[in-house]
Amino acid sequence: MTLEVRDIVMNFGGFRALDGVSLTVPAGGLVGLIGPNGAGKSTLFAIMSGFQTQDAGAVLLDGRPLDALAAPARARAGLVRTFQVPREFRNLTVRQNLLAAAPGQTGENLLGLFFQPGRVAREEAVIARRAEETLRLLKLAPVADQPARQLSGGQKKLLELGRALMLDPRFVLLDEPFAGVNPVLIGEIVARIRELNAAGIGFLIIEHDLEALTRLVPYLAVLDRGRIIAQGGPDAVLTDAAVREAYLGGVA
Amino acid sequence: MTDLLQHVANGVVQGLFIGMAALAITLVFGIARFPNAATGDMMTFGAYAGLVAQQAANSLVLAGAVAILAGAVVALASHWLVFRRLAGRSVVSLLVASIGVAFMIRAVLGVVFGQAQAVFQVPLTRAQLYWGVRVTPLNLQISQVVVAALLVVFAVLYFTPIGRQMRAVADDRDLARVSGIRPERVMVALWLMAGAVAGLAGMMLGIKTVVAPEVGWEMLLPAFTAAILGGIGSAPGAVLAGLLLGVAQEVSTPFVGFSYKIAIAFLVMLGVLLVRPSGLFGRSESVR
Repeated sequence: MTLEVRDIVMNFGGFRALDGVSLTVPAGGLVGLIGPNGAGKSTLFAIMSGFQTQDAGAVLLDGRPLDALAAPARARAGLVRTFQVPREFRNLTVRQNLLAAAPGQTGENLLGLFFQPGRVAREEAVIARRAEETLRLLKLAPVADQPARQLSGGQKKLLELGRALMLDPRFVLLDEPFAGVNPVLIGEIVARIRELNAAGIGFLIIEHDLEALTRLVPYLAVLDRGRIIAQGGPDAVLTDAAVREAYLGGVA
Repeated sequence: MTDLLQHVANGVVQGLFIGMAALAITLVFGIARFPNAATGDMMTFGAYAGLVAQQAANSLVLAGAVAILAGAVVALASHWLVFRRLAGRSVVSLLVASIGVAFMIRAVLGVVFGQAQAVFQVPLTRAQLYWGVRVTPLNLQISQVVVAALLVVFAVLYFTPIGRQMRAVADDRDLARVSGIRPERVMVALWLMAGAVAGLAGMMLGIKTVVAPEVGWEMLLPAFTAAILGGIGSAPGAVLAGLLLGVAQEVSTPFVGFSYKIAIAFLVMLGVLLVRPSGLFGRSESVR
């Protein structure tokens, strides 16, 4: 099971946002994606998750192209993304936010709801247990019944991770999981990602906080002006001349 | 005092109709994101379907089931044939399209059934006195049916997977999609539910008053008022605001006269919106 993007090209008008990007996240891999603002990182996530359609190239999950799948189908196939600015179902409670991210229930259509109530109840019990486990894992249990809009920024990041977990993902695309999060909670999020990764979930992580990121990931890829300019171990990548040029504008 | 209570009681019945219509409007607005001006005529459609069923089978229960089904079908058909094709257009485009759908439904009903008023055959019953307030068994039964229907809708909305998905899509459609929810499927359930509510409301209104091609359309203004007053997108708000409006209209009738009671609805709305611009239960953020 690998996640791969191959030769992705994306143009916005005359501007080439992505110019032949190829990158592979192996099964259970932990890969950081860095690069200056406007390098195309978020565009790459949008394409991988099915929010935008690339002009050329392919997104493959286990060698199988995902291009025909819309965003909800990709999430169900095990490729789940989070958002840079954390989003939540604001009027649902924290627990309901998690339950909402467990699609594929009989009770999702009105016929199933009214004519197979027993089955609906059994399925609900199963996902309710998973939601409880996820709440405990992310230490969100104390706020489980609060409306999600009341969470702090850091808690919302955890909730995003929790929503992703409810989909039983193979790969999670995290868009700046540490942005705007206090250092204590960053440690918490890092620890959770490590645990989940150890359990076999692959991560591709966009992050500007290089210090926190390099503590977490053994492999870094650098995107600059729509191209991958370096990838490998953090030490090698961060001392790479082209990377220093791109990041620091040649100052260093 | 008894007079006042009497008006309140009448207002509650009227308010239940307004509340149901407002519920159908606010559900659609919250999830499909446009004010559906065809809601009233979906009610009328349900009323006529119920009338035909009652005449054919002489059963009010069966008529109610047919009205629910007819409302659901006409709403889903409107979605598939019109609204879905305009998805992503401006709210005004969808509003205008829904006015067109409204005229279509009304025209078809007018051609098939004529412009004359029809009535449901219901047994005449003597009003009972409760604490000095005269309530007819018919009004009581209508109210019970409406309350039961509202309870079912709220149970679906707040205690089931599809209801959770509806509220999720209403909150953040993109987030719902990355959570694996298919908004198009949710939309189908939404229209079935909103249409069923409208169809049943139309038949209940028809039993209480008359069935004519215009009856639903005439409910539209107070229903929109209640939806806005309740905080657009808020289902409990819509029902409570409907009740409030119904009572305000009836209680004010002795003072302003029958013809002007509709104006009271707008005075109430104006007053509330001056104090709470987002409605009784609304949050301004929920309007996009």
